[in-house]
Amino acid sequence: MSAIGYAFSEALVSLRRSGRSAVMSIGTIAIAFLTLGGFLLVSANLQSLVERWASSAELSVYLRDDVDDASRQALVAELSGQAAVAGVEYVSKDVALERFRRDFPELADVAESTDNPFPPSIEVRLRTDPASSGAADAMATQLTEREGVVDVRYDRQWLSRLMAIIASIRLAGVTAAAVLVLGAAFTVAAVVRLSLQARREEVDIMQLVGAPFAFIRGPSIAEGTILGSIGALLSLLILWAIFATTRDQLTAALAEWGSVGALRFLGVAEAALLVASGLVVGGLAGLVASRAAR
Amino acid sequence: MIETHELGKAYGRGLYALRDLTLKVERGEFVFLTGPSGAGKSTLLRLLLLQERPTEGVAIVNGRNLVRMSSREVQAYRRSVGFVFQDFKLVPTKTVFENVSFALRVLGTPIEQQRRRTYQVLKWVGLQHRLQAYPLELSGGEQQRVAIARALVNEPQLVLADEPTGNLDPDLSLEIMNLFRDINSSGTTVLVATHDRELIKWVGRRTVHLEHGRLLGSPGQSGATV
Repeated sequence: MSAIGYAFSEALVSLRRSGRSAVMSIGTIAIAFLTLGGFLLVSANLQSLVERWASSAELSVYLRDDVDDASRQALVAELSGQAAVAGVEYVSKDVALERFRRDFPELADVAESTDNPFPPSIEVRLRTDPASSGAADAMATQLTEREGVVDVRYDRQWLSRLMAIIASIRLAGVTAAAVLVLGAAFTVAAVVRLSLQARREEVDIMQLVGAPFAFIRGPSIAEGTILGSIGALLSLLILWAIFATTRDQLTAALAEWGSVGALRFLGVAEAALLVASGLVVGGLAGLVASRAAR
Repeated sequence: MIETHELGKAYGRGLYALRDLTLKVERGEFVFLTGPSGAGKSTLLRLLLLQERPTEGVAIVNGRNLVRMSSREVQAYRRSVGFVFQDFKLVPTKTVFENVSFALRVLGTPIEQQRRRTYQVLKWVGLQHRLQAYPLELSGGEQQRVAIARALVNEPQLVLADEPTGNLDPDLSLEIMNLFRDINSSGTTVLVATHDRELIKWVGRRTVHLEHGRLLGSPGQSGATV
């Protein structure tokens, strides 16, 4: 029998013997990876939401009320010729007022009681590729200094800030999860060490007959690997169950903030990475514990 | 086969378990190691099995210097040495067959060869009818025969036994000693630590006497170096 086959068969025997200790260490691994997976899931959905908003981002160029037609048309023509621009639409004062009445019918009276307060504007739809994003940033800055322009509103600036906040949240989440994973690794190492103690006689004899290290330490590493991967797999199932039961309510709640699209679960690669991380963390914990069998 | 020169093992300052031991055991020889409790018999065997490292002197077994061995070299060396202890050191959760085949299994021996060789050696010690029994279901003599079978299954060049009859009654002790004599007659070097003078007299081989960690002599036998 190969060292790997021997390691896993002995590890399974050890785990059956460990009973509750093994279940507890699987539980701690599952909690740690549930935290990690939860943060990954939330941040992945926030990221795709922000990206969706970013892809429909517009640059609004507000003009002075008295801007003449020639200047306006020159600006529209110039913007249309830019590589980063997907489309341009001029919105007159009247059209802006009409849109306000349509979008906020309950505030129609306010608009009726005063002169039209809305400035004319040019709405610029931008291309979504990264190169265009950089060009749009420069364009927004230049436009503020143009004759006839009173203000420039660029959605991507606040979206970039939002992205930075999401990245910070993700970093904090991953750090917290890493601490939990470290704690779980210590639990796995303790359980594996106990199993090693239970196999002490066997290990002593293996050492005396000159068994290779792969046979002596292999079962401990295999045990950690099994505990880690089962724990991570369990966390993935729990996460999916939570996601499946709350998806509809969350989608409905978020819809009030605008179009959010369908919430998504972790992709196959992300899920596989999560389980693989459990396997690696468990294996490393087993390796550390196995050093007791010198 | 075994050559030591001023071999010593100290635990702390001035506390010697073994001191200035110069000894030569020829290949194929059967040697008894005797002396009172605390004389250093077990320490010498532990040093020869590399369970402990000497603090002084030189020990050469089958041309290998035990003092300067790396961990991997220790593994390789131990594969050429069989060991038998007073307390048998059997794994209680494994059957007789598994306890013996285990020594081959962890060396990566093909499974067919493991089975054949295990059966052969268990038959040789007369336990072919107890293959599926667990150690606790066996008598002391049977357990020691399993331990002897495990020591022999790798066909070692040297067998070390530390008080192998210490837990057995006189009849069983003779039975076990007969096995060691048979092992030796096939050319394997055997070194047995015991304080049982009757047994030594009955087997009638060279005896090395230790006291307070020092060699006293090996009276009346050939090949001894004092």
